[in-house]
Amino acid sequence: MTPLTTARQLILDRIRDATGSAAFDEPSIELAALRASLSRDYIRKATLAPEAILALLIERLHEYDAEVVECTHDLLPAAVAAELLAANLAAGRSSFIVPAGLPSAWLDVARTHSEFTLIPDHDLPIDLIEDASGVITTAFCAVADSGTIILHHSPAEGRRLITLLPDWHLCILHASQVVQTLPEYFDLCKTPPNLVTWISGPSATADIEMTRIKGVHGPRFLHVLLVRD
Amino acid sequence: MSVPYHPQLNPTLAPPFPQAALHVLRNPQLRKNVAHAMDVIQAKRARLVLEKSDWQALRTAASEIRAHALDHLGTYLEQFEAHCSEAGGIVHWAATAEDARRIILDILRQEQATVVIKIKTMTSTEIQLNPFLEASGVSVFETDLAEIILQLGHDEPSHIVVPALHVNRSQVRDIFARSMGLPDLSDDPHALTAAARHYLRQKFLSIPTAIGGANFLIAETGSVAVVESEGNGRMCLTLPRTLITLAGIEKVLPRFQDLEVMLQVLARSATGERMNPYTSLWTGVVPGDGPQHFHVVLLDNGRSGILRNSVDRQTLKCIRCAACMNACPVYRQTGGHAYGSVYPGPIGAILTPQLMQMHHAQSLPYAPTLCGACYEVCPVKINIPEVLIDLRARVVDQDRSHLEHYFDPLYLGMRLTGFIFRHPWLFHSAQRLARLGLRLFTRKDGWIHSLPSVGAEWTQTRDLRGFPSRTFHERWVARSATQSPRPQ
Repeated sequence: MTPLTTARQLILDRIRDATGSAAFDEPSIELAALRASLSRDYIRKATLAPEAILALLIERLHEYDAEVVECTHDLLPAAVAAELLAANLAAGRSSFIVPAGLPSAWLDVARTHSEFTLIPDHDLPIDLIEDASGVITTAFCAVADSGTIILHHSPAEGRRLITLLPDWHLCILHASQVVQTLPEYFDLCKTPPNLVTWISGPSATADIEMTRIKGVHGPRFLHVLLVRD
Repeated sequence: MSVPYHPQLNPTLAPPFPQAALHVLRNPQLRKNVAHAMDVIQAKRARLVLEKSDWQALRTAASEIRAHALDHLGTYLEQFEAHCSEAGGIVHWAATAEDARRIILDILRQEQATVVIKIKTMTSTEIQLNPFLEASGVSVFETDLAEIILQLGHDEPSHIVVPALHVNRSQVRDIFARSMGLPDLSDDPHALTAAARHYLRQKFLSIPTAIGGANFLIAETGSVAVVESEGNGRMCLTLPRTLITLAGIEKVLPRFQDLEVMLQVLARSATGERMNPYTSLWTGVVPGDGPQHFHVVLLDNGRSGILRNSVDRQTLKCIRCAACMNACPVYRQTGGHAYGSVYPGPIGAILTPQLMQMHHAQSLPYAPTLCGACYEVCPVKINIPEVLIDLRARVVDQDRSHLEHYFDPLYLGMRLTGFIFRHPWLFHSAQRLARLGLRLFTRKDGWIHSLPSVGAEWTQTRDLRGFPSRTFHERWVARSATQSPRPQ
């Protein structure tokens, strides 16, 4: 077995030997110039009108079997309550986790209902999260082209666990957060985030005879509340 | 029902491709399962690639990013190591498979872990991690649905994206019913998937150590990216206390933004989806969210040697989408096990022998047909036929180093043919002789269906077109004699 202290040097030496020594100690400015010369002729800006981008996102989400409900900003708290109530009526969902940073006003109407409880996530233990029937979060943005919802796990988006264990996820998304293409999302990331989760529809598998089955380990139900600003 | 057979995915022990392929070719159920899966994925991929008007521009960008990362691999690996360590990750370097297994076992011993959950990682199959851990007293639970099917069925992966595509629903039912103690399980994929969810749920919630792979390592940030479909990956990346990521050294991308290209081409090429259901990225240890002990094991295991030759270097651009095997007419017939490696299909045919430093798997560069279908679909533009030809030449060169090779009929025949081809009068005499000789074997339909002796090696598996009554050359000469030269 290779002594571990030398394995690093051994591997780096082999690489240096194979790629030519020029590949080492490269001034970052030269590497950056080389990177800038790589071709990037793919589509990097929106080609559709804002309304068409939203329509595309909705179409994609529907293809993933996600539910989409639209509302205006004024009606947001009522729409959240209506979604929770519908989930309660349809499947008896009665407890929903809420990230600590989710704007409190969005839940004003939901709080008046006694059919379900809202549980703020202040380091909730795993078993409590596992037992909850759903979760309500916002998102960093959404990409219409692939129907992808992107979480950076800010206080309003919650830590990763709460959007993973509960079977039902309501994501509140503002129309201004929707971009058409993936490169536009990267333009929004001024500094790269520490934690990222991209969600493109509910969890799925096609491992058995290529038959797509919705819902393996992640949430089986994804609802998107699209708020027109 | 076919004879029980355990595929051998260790290239140092596996039989040569033509021999291993025979077993599969005689198994109609397996061939049907593979062909069905290939039809479904190919159709989905083709539709989604067609809708992307900038597909070729994305391929070019993806290819250039990967080539650039490999040309400066040392620098980018050091950047990744520095940034990952700053963020609380611990980076290990493993020169060989044995080193990687030992490093991982040492971490597990330190953590006093006797059981681990695993995200699907082909790299761990490459280093034969599971049998090693089991032999060292660590129980391993695979969590990807396909990997569970293989683990419980004592089978091996036959594809790098859909590893259990050679198993059909009734076979899955039998495996699950037997090993999960569910005699009444139906063979409906919904029921089978639900059984897997139930089987794993408690394991996710209680086992504090996970092992996974990486789709990309980001040099700029020290982040790791994992793409998946089921959510088992997110479970393993979020719930445990300790996470060990095993990644080949070639997985580095220079910048976070490079993902805007790679993740547009990966899912479309791999599963024919616009995007895979889940993509996770994390940087080191994040307080209050996810594993608080994070290790990355960077694996060489023959990769640095592949960098040496600029033609072969492109092999390492691979992002493991499997589009090449889905498009390959040979893989479609044989499935993956015949390749005797965790990496089957065209990419395996060029990757495996190189990882083995050409000491094993020398039959693999001859497995694909050079038809170019793999190159056409490759999202990072690996010219697989070009590398195949290069590797075939290396296999021949290797043979030349043995003295007995000079007495090999094939070698002598090639030398003689070379001599004849260099002398036109000999060439034409040989043609006339062949025409006379082959007339005996040519049927009425103009084809030769069987030849004796060495010729049988060709006609055993394919027909040969009969010799024409006049060669092109003879026709050309006759034509010039009868026609007047063109006016000047």
